[in-house]
Amino acid sequence: MRVRVSPFWALCAVAGVVLVTFVALPAASMIAGAGAGLLGEALRQDDVRRSLVLTVVAALITTVIGFAVGVPLAYLLARKEFPGKRVVEGIIDLPIVFPHTAAGIALLTVYGRQGVVGRLLEPLGITFTENVAGIVLAMIFVSLPFLVDGARESFALVDPRYEHVARTLGSSRFGAFARVTFPQAWRGVLAGALLMWGRGISEFGAVVILAYNPKVISVLTFERFEGFGLRAAQPPSVLIVIVAFVVFLLVRSFLVPRRRRSGAGER
Amino acid sequence: MIELRGLEVKAGGFRVGPVDLTVADGSYGVLLGPSGAGKSLVLEALAGVLPAAAGEVRLAGADVGGLTPERRRVGLVFQDGLLFPHLTVARNIAYGMRGRDGREAEVERLAEAVGVHDLLDRHPATLSGGERQRVALARALAARPRALLLDEPLSAVDPEARESLQDLLRRVCRERDLPVLHVTHDRDEAFALADECHVLIGGRLHQQGRPLDVLRRPADAAVARFLGARNVLAARRDPADPSVAVLEAGGRLGVARPLPDGAVTVVIRPEDVRLSAAPAAGAPAATVTRLTLQGGHVLVGLDAPAPLEALVPAAELEAAGIGVGHEVAVSVRPADVHVLTAG
Repeated sequence: MRVRVSPFWALCAVAGVVLVTFVALPAASMIAGAGAGLLGEALRQDDVRRSLVLTVVAALITTVIGFAVGVPLAYLLARKEFPGKRVVEGIIDLPIVFPHTAAGIALLTVYGRQGVVGRLLEPLGITFTENVAGIVLAMIFVSLPFLVDGARESFALVDPRYEHVARTLGSSRFGAFARVTFPQAWRGVLAGALLMWGRGISEFGAVVILAYNPKVISVLTFERFEGFGLRAAQPPSVLIVIVAFVVFLLVRSFLVPRRRRSGAGER
Repeated sequence: MIELRGLEVKAGGFRVGPVDLTVADGSYGVLLGPSGAGKSLVLEALAGVLPAAAGEVRLAGADVGGLTPERRRVGLVFQDGLLFPHLTVARNIAYGMRGRDGREAEVERLAEAVGVHDLLDRHPATLSGGERQRVALARALAARPRALLLDEPLSAVDPEARESLQDLLRRVCRERDLPVLHVTHDRDEAFALADECHVLIGGRLHQQGRPLDVLRRPADAAVARFLGARNVLAARRDPADPSVAVLEAGGRLGVARPLPDGAVTVVIRPEDVRLSAAPAAGAPAATVTRLTLQGGHVLVGLDAPAPLEALVPAAELEAAGIGVGHEVAVSVRPADVHVLTAG
């Protein structure tokens, strides 16, 4: 029996193939160009290993902080109307359209040694330049919108009447959020957190202006490219792409909803 | 006991109230009205999830106006059950239980009482509409509420499951001596369940009373129309005979009691309009314009010359051989003509 494929789906599939190739080809070419030997060698280099750990951990700290401040704000935006709400949403999304070098400059004017906040904090020994705090600061700035937007969307999908029921059953506002709303929205929140983490590890522009040192992977890659050329720059960038890809795959497969036990239709 | 005194609720530009109503323990109150009347807002204000703009809410004699929802102790059941989708049936029921001891036994006892004991390990997505409502009811009862608030609890339930759920709701109300306030737009559901009906239209309470009183003696034209009276006609007193109403659209009607002077509205339920195939001499004649089958009855459109509608058992209509375009005789007993004077 011949299976007829509708032209519509064929068109969608062709578009998909073009797009996937467009993204996968440079990544594959980079991995192939680096070669297994070179990768192993890169892993044995102290500065590459340190940089890899620094990048992953800084992005993780970024995501934890983003979660702590982003989730309450996302919930507020999903549930409440208040004057200036559109402005708040616009400000949160601003970093998406900020050129990231400009974001770094902007951060420097506030948190740099001469900046309005930086000047106040320096006597306490807190600085945001040339250290991990600066890296995290830059990462938060450019990646927070991904978590806030993702979490807000998934909170908005949970009918507020679930919370009404929970409260008549004795839950406080916080209890209703923790026991009823968050368990229904966590996949979206986690997806947002994953995007935030991914955006954090890939950040270059804002980080390089606040903290050239210690070097995150993107800065290390840039430095090697400038100093030693293409071949030297490939291993660190290949490593971070592989790490990020594996983490994304793991978390995404974890995010896909489990099949319901009794197998009856979803509604 | 549920007591609302001058309760007003505001949502956007919409105002509901003032609403005054009482539901005694073990009594089943129905807040009946078309969609958009503000019924759910009243329920939400009662539960405390929406602030009241004015008025008083009392439960079991205590003013609960200043209390948060979790301290009011009311049971809330919505149309779609709103079972927590991430929890099993058993854990849904146990959600609001106070104290740790004997939870499992209590869950089983409640599940048994509402007829879902064989579903305890299932997830809500796998339940039918009726099963969900039973679980939602058990969950509400598990928190030992002082009142039960039901927001269109039967609207998402198959007709076959609806009757047994209605029986369950009545039984729960009586056996647990709980005051129930049930919100619905379905008048048949309201009449099947209510000890007392409260008719809310456009944010205002129009009438309160026993179902049969409200049905037979609507307080105004809006209530009459909403309850399906269908024949709501402008008329005035016949100058020659005070017990005859002259319809503005044409025709005359005998009424049981002498009419006041001036304009009135007469209300005739379609089931009170009687038809016979052969126009008798002197009886007002009408032309059948339309037939609509409704269950075992037929809604008959008439040009009499005022437009009238009659609801006749299908078998009777068939036996009399009445069809569209036929001339029929129309009669209404004077006692079945309900007269509204004001408005």
